[in-house]
Amino acid sequence: MRDEMKSIARGLQKRDPDLLDRLIEQYQYRLFRYLLYITGDKARAEDFFQETWIRVLERGHQYDGKSKFEAWLFAIARHLVIDWQRTKKAQSLDALTDPEQERPLQIANESEPSPLHQVLAQETEVNVQASLGKIRAIYREVLVLRFQEELQIEEMAGVLSIPVSTVKSRLYRGLEALRGALQAGAA
Amino acid sequence: MSENLHDRALQLVAKSRVEGLAQSESDWLAEHLQGCEFCSERAQQTDHALRSLRTAAVPLPADLASRTQFRVRLRATELREREPKRRMLWLACAASWIFGIASAPYVWRIFAWIGQLTGMPKLVLEIGFGLWWTIPALFAVIVLLLESARQSEEPEWMKPGR
Repeated sequence: MRDEMKSIARGLQKRDPDLLDRLIEQYQYRLFRYLLYITGDKARAEDFFQETWIRVLERGHQYDGKSKFEAWLFAIARHLVIDWQRTKKAQSLDALTDPEQERPLQIANESEPSPLHQVLAQETEVNVQASLGKIRAIYREVLVLRFQEELQIEEMAGVLSIPVSTVKSRLYRGLEALRGALQAGAA
Repeated sequence: MSENLHDRALQLVAKSRVEGLAQSESDWLAEHLQGCEFCSERAQQTDHALRSLRTAAVPLPADLASRTQFRVRLRATELREREPKRRMLWLACAASWIFGIASAPYVWRIFAWIGQLTGMPKLVLEIGFGLWWTIPALFAVIVLLLESARQSEEPEWMKPGR
């Protein structure tokens, strides 16, 4: 693991195009899913996806290989979204997809069914997406990072630039909100 | 059963999923869940929520990776083309500095000779000589300042260790 992180750091330092191609392939699903959950918009997530990798190319020398690459990658993606948000004069991630303020989370894409999509039960999936859409973005984000991306709490604190205690409290609240939303959806 | 026991059980259910439990907590919870239908159901709901979250699929847009790879390679080419120019700038800066230091005694003699010829006050000559000698240094400082200003525009989170 450490060797792999070091080799990624060395490759990024040299702006190795083959390494970048491989990383884009390797992390495409996870990064896109994360961006989709925090922006709630497919087209916007695609833009941020591309922009994130451009940043990885430009600032790759700043990755030291001591922390997980995906944590650094998500931090870049998240801050691109937040920087963009600031230009729109919004104060938090919530303004993007707050169920009470804006449009709901747009994740399901019926015109492009993926093989994985077909395998999973449609009903459960729609229910989860709808439930996630009802949760505040700050909670949705921690749930995605912890339970989908399986980052450690300390890594999440780094990605989100918040204390570990705040990550934990957001996780507890998010978990409760998700449970409640799924239950309400099933009822 | 008291309300406090249910509260504790539900807190431990959440804690077990978020950060894990100590053995004593785990034993207590297992025992409680065996005898409490309400808390057991809540624990199952939490598990169901997490399972659903883990298995939820997101459709990946067609060609997203290849489009991104193309853009990244294009940008990499741009950056590579820019690199020699920057290197040249630094080389020129260093060369002019070295030349400035090496030629300082000779230049001072020329300044002194001009001073004798024109009868210019020594202070003016010294200022002129100082300026001549510091121009490459000033140029280097300006380049350094511009470079550091560009880097300070990078937000804190981009720096290593974050």
